[in-house]
Amino acid sequence: MRYKEECGKAMQMLSRDDRVVFIGQTVSYPGSVVYGTMEGIPEEQRIEVPVMEDCQMGISIGLALQGFIPVSIYPRMDFLICAMNQLVNHLDKIALMSCGQYQPKVIVRSLVGATKPMFPGLQHCQDHSEAMRHLLPNMEVFVLADAGHIVSTYEYALKSVKPVLIIEYSELYTFERPA
Amino acid sequence: MNVLNKEELIAFEEDIKAVHLTGVIKAPVHFAGGNEDALIEIFKLVSPHDWVFSTHRSHYHALLKGIPREWLKKEILEGRSIGIYNAEYRFFSSAIVGGALPIAVGTAMGARRKQTPEHVWVFGGEMAAETGIFHECAKYAARNRLPITFVVEDNTWSVNTPTRKVWGEIDEEPHIMEYQYVRVYPHQGAGWITFPPSPSKDGAF
Repeated sequence: MRYKEECGKAMQMLSRDDRVVFIGQTVSYPGSVVYGTMEGIPEEQRIEVPVMEDCQMGISIGLALQGFIPVSIYPRMDFLICAMNQLVNHLDKIALMSCGQYQPKVIVRSLVGATKPMFPGLQHCQDHSEAMRHLLPNMEVFVLADAGHIVSTYEYALKSVKPVLIIEYSELYTFERPA
Repeated sequence: MNVLNKEELIAFEEDIKAVHLTGVIKAPVHFAGGNEDALIEIFKLVSPHDWVFSTHRSHYHALLKGIPREWLKKEILEGRSIGIYNAEYRFFSSAIVGGALPIAVGTAMGARRKQTPEHVWVFGGEMAAETGIFHECAKYAARNRLPITFVVEDNTWSVNTPTRKVWGEIDEEPHIMEYQYVRVYPHQGAGWITFPPSPSKDGAF
């Protein structure tokens, strides 16, 4: 069972629910490992957005208010940090603040950058998984440490009432060196 | 829609003020006032199926959206003035400056995707209108023709700080230099991982 393939299968599984839209960077254009996991997903289900991380998270929340299930993708956790206002002050708390009237369900997908075979610098490989658990008391945070639970975790996220943050590890996406 | 007139709006806030002075409301209350005429005009454009995104100062917006006075008063008495939400009336708010802006944009995007006729109205103060995210939201919404209108409510004060003074009052254009070029290499060189031939899309490589 390979990590990258399982992530692809998970995205395929999510895409079969017509409420799901994939929003973020490199969902429609190559540029991170995310793009390779989007193969076969119809373009109309993908929303490539500019670099506006906090705005992207807010837009994802708004789409969720309209009944969509956005999979909001941040190819590096370092970039997710730029979306903290909408993530911590809004997505995590809207159900509570609105006394359950609004329950925006966003599946936030982020990746910890690989440090092997190349070290990408301190701004491209931070792992704030534990901090996220503390910052998001009303969301569920999952860390995908191996290939075994990838599809089932995303299945759980799809059924969950609460918004979910799922963290992948780019280092576990292994690549064959082309001949 | 049972829309209140100016006198009724003012009377609502006077009533809340009288209660607040007794100390029974254990939460901050941000009173509206002085903007009744402008808001009454704006809300003539707002339909019942439209969405309204408000701020920490939301009483007038809520009342003009049609939310019953009694319901709103109960929320305020229970300490929730700073964050009024009513799904039935498609009313949402955020107490973070500019917080509701991108959520409103996403709601407008959702309306567009569902091809429903609803419009989104999002309110914010003049300080919110100076933030980076306001510019991102307004620009993105316009360039994608999303069904949303941004309403800037300018009372010149950000809490008790004079907005224009702290932004600086010298009328000068920003010093920006720009040049354009055609790139030669892919975005980054990370060996075979990023260099293998990938399908070109819109000229990307």
